[in-house]
This record gives sequence, structure tokens and C-alpha cells, in this order.
Amino acid sequence: MRELRALGLGFRVIACLVAAAFFASTAAAQSPYKDKIVALRVTRQLFNEDRPWAKQNPDVREGTAVVISSALLLTAASMIQNATYIQVQKHGRADWIPARLVHQDSAINLALLSVDQPGFFDDLTPADIAKSAATEGVVHSVRWKDRQFELSNSRPGRIEVIESPYGSVHHAILRLSTDFSAGGWAEPVFAADKLIGITVTQDGQTATVVPAEILKAYVDSSARAGDGYRGFASIGGLRWQTNTDRALSAYLGLEGEPRGVFIRQVPWGSTGCSSLRPRDILLELDGHEIDASGNYNHPVYGQLRFEHIVVEGHAPGDVVLARVFRDRQFIDLEIELRSYPSSARLIPWRRAESDPPYLVAGGFVFRELDGRYLNTWGTDWRAKAPNQLRYFFDLLGSAQAPERRRIIVVSQVLPAAYNIGYHGVADLPVKSINGFEVDSIADAEQAFEQSPDDLHRIVFYPNSTVREVVLDRETFEDATQAILSAYDVPARLRLPDRELPDLGPPCPDDR
Amino acid sequence: MVLKDLAGDRLKRRLRFFPWLAVAVALTACADSNHGKTSIERSVVRIVNHSQRGDWYSPWLSRAPTYSGGSGFVIEGGLVMTNAHVVSDSRMILLYLDGDPTPHEARVKAIGHDCDLALVEPVEPGLLESLPAMAFGGLPKLGSSVETYGYPAGGQRISSTRGIVSRIEKATYAHSGADSHLTVQTDAAINPGNSGGPVIQDGRVAGVAFQASTELENVGYFIPSEVIDHFMKDVADGTYHGYPDLGTQVVNLENPAARRGSKMQPDQSGVRVEFVYPGSSADGYIREGDVLLAVDGYPIANDGTIALDGLRLSFELLLDRRLAGETVPLEILRDGERHPISVPMQVYPPFSAYRRLYDQLPRYYVYAGLVFVPLNTEVIVALGESVPEHILYELYFRPIEEPLAVRREPVVLLRRLDHAVNGDLSWYRDLVVDRVNGHSIDNLEQLIEAIESNRESSHIFEFAYYGRLGVLDRQAADTANEEILEIYGVPEDRNL
Repeated sequence: MRELRALGLGFRVIACLVAAAFFASTAAAQSPYKDKIVALRVTRQLFNEDRPWAKQNPDVREGTAVVISSALLLTAASMIQNATYIQVQKHGRADWIPARLVHQDSAINLALLSVDQPGFFDDLTPADIAKSAATEGVVHSVRWKDRQFELSNSRPGRIEVIESPYGSVHHAILRLSTDFSAGGWAEPVFAADKLIGITVTQDGQTATVVPAEILKAYVDSSARAGDGYRGFASIGGLRWQTNTDRALSAYLGLEGEPRGVFIRQVPWGSTGCSSLRPRDILLELDGHEIDASGNYNHPVYGQLRFEHIVVEGHAPGDVVLARVFRDRQFIDLEIELRSYPSSARLIPWRRAESDPPYLVAGGFVFRELDGRYLNTWGTDWRAKAPNQLRYFFDLLGSAQAPERRRIIVVSQVLPAAYNIGYHGVADLPVKSINGFEVDSIADAEQAFEQSPDDLHRIVFYPNSTVREVVLDRETFEDATQAILSAYDVPARLRLPDRELPDLGPPCPDDR
Repeated sequence: MVLKDLAGDRLKRRLRFFPWLAVAVALTACADSNHGKTSIERSVVRIVNHSQRGDWYSPWLSRAPTYSGGSGFVIEGGLVMTNAHVVSDSRMILLYLDGDPTPHEARVKAIGHDCDLALVEPVEPGLLESLPAMAFGGLPKLGSSVETYGYPAGGQRISSTRGIVSRIEKATYAHSGADSHLTVQTDAAINPGNSGGPVIQDGRVAGVAFQASTELENVGYFIPSEVIDHFMKDVADGTYHGYPDLGTQVVNLENPAARRGSKMQPDQSGVRVEFVYPGSSADGYIREGDVLLAVDGYPIANDGTIALDGLRLSFELLLDRRLAGETVPLEILRDGERHPISVPMQVYPPFSAYRRLYDQLPRYYVYAGLVFVPLNTEVIVALGESVPEHILYELYFRPIEEPLAVRREPVVLLRRLDHAVNGDLSWYRDLVVDRVNGHSIDNLEQLIEAIESNRESSHIFEFAYYGRLGVLDRQAADTANEEILEIYGVPEDRNL
């Protein structure tokens, strides 16, 4: 009898599992989302940041793109960075079809793709982008994975403002609890048949989703290709602190409850560079009151950090009104919004889509200091990278100055008889070469052509190892060529493939 | 001394020292007879140190007492020589003589934390009179054999092991973490508890065992007689002054172009001075760009070494031989011309911030729940992995980048004791204080003066890096001050 009962229980469990599988597959089979997304496969190849003339082995990453028109697919820009070949796959079929990049904005981390194969979009249905992301109820994260359609009933969590990983756009994102494992590869998120966001990262079971407002603004702006893509405005670079300190408010003369945010630094090139000043209290921006914690009341999402104000509904070049409390007076200002790309920073965290500039001179390898280089010490580079590079990144890295737009480092010395005595020189920031201040690879290259005597002198920023290196000028060129040949370096120089952004005039009140 | 050594990361991690933490010290009741014991064995003592350190994160508190064991040996004058780290922060020191189960109370007579040596004297007069005082020998030869004596692993019986001298060089002393002196490496087993024990060659003390490598197997280090001799001379007047520093940063000149750039002749060799610490021994005597050609008559090679006793050793070891107040003869090359100079050697106080601190309680000041401390290595250790980069920069790098602007004693707002008066200042911690009420802050006393002399309605704190500003209502802060001290059990608002 006991055995029979056990068998009966086992049967009921199996029956439930079969039924669940049946309903899941039925749900998948009937899903309205299958025609709106495609699988994405990207072959990419990164540079070897230690030897910037060489590339790493190519690798492949797979994710998802969502159909947004009869000819365009939307995905995360991080999916296609450094891509050498892009393919898509639809309806779980076996064939992968070449796709091409139409547009990308790494600062906001979105990209558009298209497929030239005739009729590719015929059996696909564009997704409607919702006005806003859902903040409650159940939403659907979807993807193709190994030719299987997968759907997760996901649960919206917090709305937060974070800095985009590839740029300095501080914008709202949605945290989502998802059942997907190994997600974060641009899975679209739907609610009531409308696209409410695209997943850009996933940590455990928590996904970070770029919400519909951003997607819509990006798609609309990129469609105005004829007028020029305007991108996203950013409050990036601005340093501020909350104004919850009543004593601080009182000291500055602001009566009543503390409100607004206390501006600490306004770096060159940032929004507010020519209008905001350190020690201003920023009270209102674009008609929104800012509270003492730095939040404003978003009509849909409620309390959000004020940085999002300049992102939604605005673009670089727009002028918005601001009210500040300065020198014990309320002042109304016009602030021209700007973008603040990663490249506007002295030490960019990301170097999206550009090859690392470098110079090999006398066996000394010069390169720009950036996040990709710091990451050569691994994800725990903060514990492993040389102290001086970490200090530069943290203490100087945020703001360029007209006279210092990049930090150039000697990353290593390729040993040869010519540079004997210097073989241990590594990871030292360069201040000048032959008396000329250096803040670009081009500067370094030119400085070596302007030695005042029969020596080359490389001066480093003060450090605890070597402050000056002296090299022979007469044998410099021959030695460089011999070293390039010995170490199989194809070219001694690669200049940046794009100019640094125009950051405008210096901020008059920056400090 | 150069800051590379001060930061010392790799070497410091590699070294460990041996205040052996005993779980229990079960004293044996039976006494060994001295029969059959060598004079060396009779002169080696076991030391138990009951110690207590301050808490650098809650600087008004002391940590729980602890105890550790080490070794020492009897020398002339009724004293025991041992390592500084064996008897640091002591509240009670007990000596155990060979074969004698009775603990004998002792006290520190002299201690040198920068060279990890100490002299201990028993409280009981004449206790050591019957024991042979050990004599010191010279620097052992490479490849020669030595014997270590001590009480490793807390054992109550003396132990000795034999090994070979495998390397003699300048290395970091882990006890201070910031000082480098001559060190002898051996494969004789040096284990926890051996610290302070003698290393013997030909019946004489060749050195004091003190640390081992955590990366290499069977590699231990001892302090050679040269360093011991320096310590003994230093304490001869009853006070330990410490090692003087030249106060320069130099770079090797192995590259021919570098030598040409320094206007050296082909037959000249030396190292180029890259930096002179303001106020150091070298300041006013040596300039940046000078080449050090010789020290004490010994020519300096282009790799910074001198030939000494058949070895090639760092030229800085000759500077190490000087006591504070003595002069060192140098030959420098300036603009292609040789100049003999004589530099009076002095201790350079700013370097003390880079050392671990012992035998002292933390300096601090608590006002309105804000805890201010001088920035030093103990604060860095107390903050652990959460130490912000700007704090590390302020201590270790700013003196290199801005030697003239370096503060005598940077002050850090370490933490905040929660209270309504400071409740809005949740970000108030781990910040370097730049100005208070308009006054630049160069040390803790200045900060206190800037706060206590303020008669305005607010206290204004300006912090270095990122333009941070904090304000306290003065009257409210004054009123809350005593209450906060009482709530949090802070017995005194300051220790200066």
C-alpha cells in the first residue's frame, strides 16, 4: 500500500512537470515576441593593450537584437564594439545571416543594425517602443538562445540613475529580477506587447535595463541622420554633494529647509562649464526643483537623481533654465547642455571603437593611460596596478585641461643594448620629452625630433623610481628600427584615429 | 631612504616576523641542570611579552592584551639583546633562563624599532651575572655556516639549527616596514620564537635572527653585527636616536648616454641625484642633478654599489654606518666638476609617518563626534582594504610630487560618532583636512587651535581633493561635544 501511494505521488509530480512543460512550450509557441527579436552573434577582436600594435585572438559573443522597423534592429552598443563580423539568426533557424552596423552611440550604449539580405525583415514584426518602462507587475525578458526561444517572467525593481558604462551619461535605468541565467546580452524586455527596455548588464539575477524613453530618443535621433545625430546631453564630470547639511546651508545663507545640491567642481567641457560655479547651490533645473538629496520628481518614475533631467527630452545644444543660490542671492541662469563622452576625461575609462595610439622610440613604448590599459592588471586592477597610475586615475582622471588632455605613459621598455640601464622602466607617466610638455602621442613623436643637443631626455612625473631618462640621439633612429625588427613590431607609431572632442573655452570659475 | 622602500609593497608582503602567539605557556616544574650545556645555550633566554596596542580606528581605546614569545641572549652589562618586535608595546616582560622554571620580570632598557633591536634588563639586579655574556663577531662570509639558537614555536627547550649564509644585502626590516639595512640570509631554520635569538659563528654572535621569507622555503634572515654595533653605539648615551637619512632619491647611471648627460668622464662612475627632500641631511649640500661619485672614499659604481669586504653592496650601507650628528664624506660631480663635501647626517622626522608605530598610543582629537587623527601608516592599516586612494596619495605620493607643500603632519577626519549635531554629515569620514575656519592645517595641534579659537557661528571644514566642504554650527557642536564623549565612552577628547 505504501509503495502504491509512493507511486501515486510520483505520478502526480511527473504529470505536473509534463503539464508545465506543455504550457511553457505552448506559451513560447504562441509568444508575440518571437517575430520581434533575432539572435545576434558578433565576432570581435580587441587590441592587446600591453603590446598595442598587436591584436588579441578573436572571440565570439552572442546576444539579442530587437526589430524596431522594417529595416532596423536595435541592440546594446557594447554587443558590437570591436566587431569584425556581425550575424543574426531568426526564428531559431540554423542559418546565420550577415548584418551590418548602421549607427552606434557608445555613450548611451545603444546601436542600430541592418541586414541587406532581401526579404530578411518580411517575416519579422517591428516592436513598438512604449512611452515608459513599467515599474510594477510582470514583464517579459526574451531571447533566442541555442535556437530556442526563451521567455522570463521578470519583475521590475528599482529605478535608479547610473552612469552609462561606456560614457558619462547619467540616466535612469530599471533594475529587473529575471530568471534568465547568464543574461545581460541585450535581451529586450516587453510589457503589454510593447518594448519597455533593453538589458545591458546582469549581475546574478538582477538585470539592468535601459528604459523605453532612452530607446525612443536614441531611435528618433538616429533617424534624423540628415540633420546630424545629436546624441545625449550629460551632467557628467560635474562634482557635487548633497545639501542635507543644515549647517552648510545656513553658512551659505540659504534660509529654510536645505534643498538643492552643492556644486564642488565644474570641469572643462562639462555641462555648466561656463555658467555654474563651485559653491553654487543648484536649486532648479529645467523647471524641476532639486531636493537636498539631489533628487527631483519624475512624472512617471517618482524620485530620480537630477542628472536625468538633461537626458530625457533634451539633447546637446539645448539651453535649459537653472536657478542657483550664489553669494546669498537667487540667480536664474541659462545652461547650454553638452555631451560629456568618455573621451572628454583626462583618463578615459573606455576607449570605444578606436585603436590604441602608441609610439615605440628607442625601445620605450609610449601609450595613452586609459581604462583599458588599467584593466590589463585584471578586474582587480585597483589592488594590482601601480600606485601612481591609480592615483592619476582617481585624483586627476576626471577632468582635462587645455594644456593637459591625456596622460602619456611609458608602459614598458623593449630591452636592447641601446636602452641598457632602463630595462626596468615601466608604467611611468611622461611629463616632457626634450623639454617639451607631452600630452599626446603626436607630441611625443614630435618632441623626439627636437632635441636641443646630442641627447634625448624623457622626464617623468615625480615618482619613487626614475625621474629622468637620457638616451643617445645619434644612434636613436637605428636603434629604434633594430628594436622594432627584433620584437616584431610592425610600425613604430599609431596616431589616434579621431580627434579629441571640442570641449569649448575653459571654464572661467573652475578650480 | 627612498619612498619606494617606504611604500615597500612587494618586499613587505614577502616578510613576516615572529612574535609567536602562544595558546598557553605551561611552565615545566622540573629544572634542567646546566651540566652538558654549552655556554651559548646557557646564555640564550626565552622571552614572554604581555603586550597591548592602541586602536588606531577608535584611538581612545586600547586593544585586548596579548602575549607572545621570543628569544634573547645575554650580553655584557647584565642585559639581554633581542628584537624590538619581541618586546614591543609591552605591559610585562618575563625572562626564562635555561633550565630555570622561574619567570623573571624584566623591562626594556633601549629599543630601536627602525633596526628591530632591543635591550632588556631584568628587574632583579644581578640575575644574569652567573651567565656568560656573549661576544660579537664580524660579518660572516658567503657560504660559511652559522648556527641559530632560540626557542622556536614557543618550546621551553632551547633549539639550535645549522645553515649556510646564502646572501648578504640591504633589505626591508618588516618590523617598521619602512627601513632597509644590511641583512644576512641563511637556510638555517628560523621559525616563530627564534626571533631575537643569536646566530653564532665561531663561538661569537654573527647576528640576531629576526624574520623569514614567506615566498622562499627555508630562508631566514638575521641582523648582522654591523647593524647591532650601530644600535649599541646609538644607545650608549641612554637614548636611542635612530638611523639618520641622507634624504636623497638617486638613480643608477648604467646607460652611457645618461652618464654623458651628467657630464661624467669615461672613467667616472656613480649615481645621479633625482630628488632632495627638503630639510633632510642632504638639503643645502647636494642638488638634484648632482652625481654621487664616492662615499667614505669608496667609489660608487653605476649600479649604485660599492666594493666592500669582497661583496658588492648598496652604497647606502656606508651611510647607514653613521650615527645621527656624525658627518659623511662624499664626492660629488656638479656640472662636470668634482667636489668633496662633508654632510652632517640627521634623522629625517617626516619619514616616521611611513613606519609602523609601537610603544605609543594614537594621537587623536574628537570634536562634536568628528574623530581627527594624524595620517600615518597605522591609520592606513586600520582602514584596511577600504582605504581611499586620496589617503594613500596624501601619505605616500604627495611628498614626492609636492615636496615643498608637504604637510608636516597631514590630519585626517577618520570617522564620525553619530549624533544629531553631525547627523547630516554622513559622508564625513576618511577625508584629509585642508583648512579649518580659514586656517591651513599642518598638524593636529593646529586643527585643535583652529577649532577652539573660532568665535564665528560656524566651523568651516575644507577637505583636500574634490572640493569637499563641511560646516558645523559652533554653538550646537560645543554643546553636544561632552555628551558625545560620554555616550561613546571616550574618556578624553584628545591624546596629543
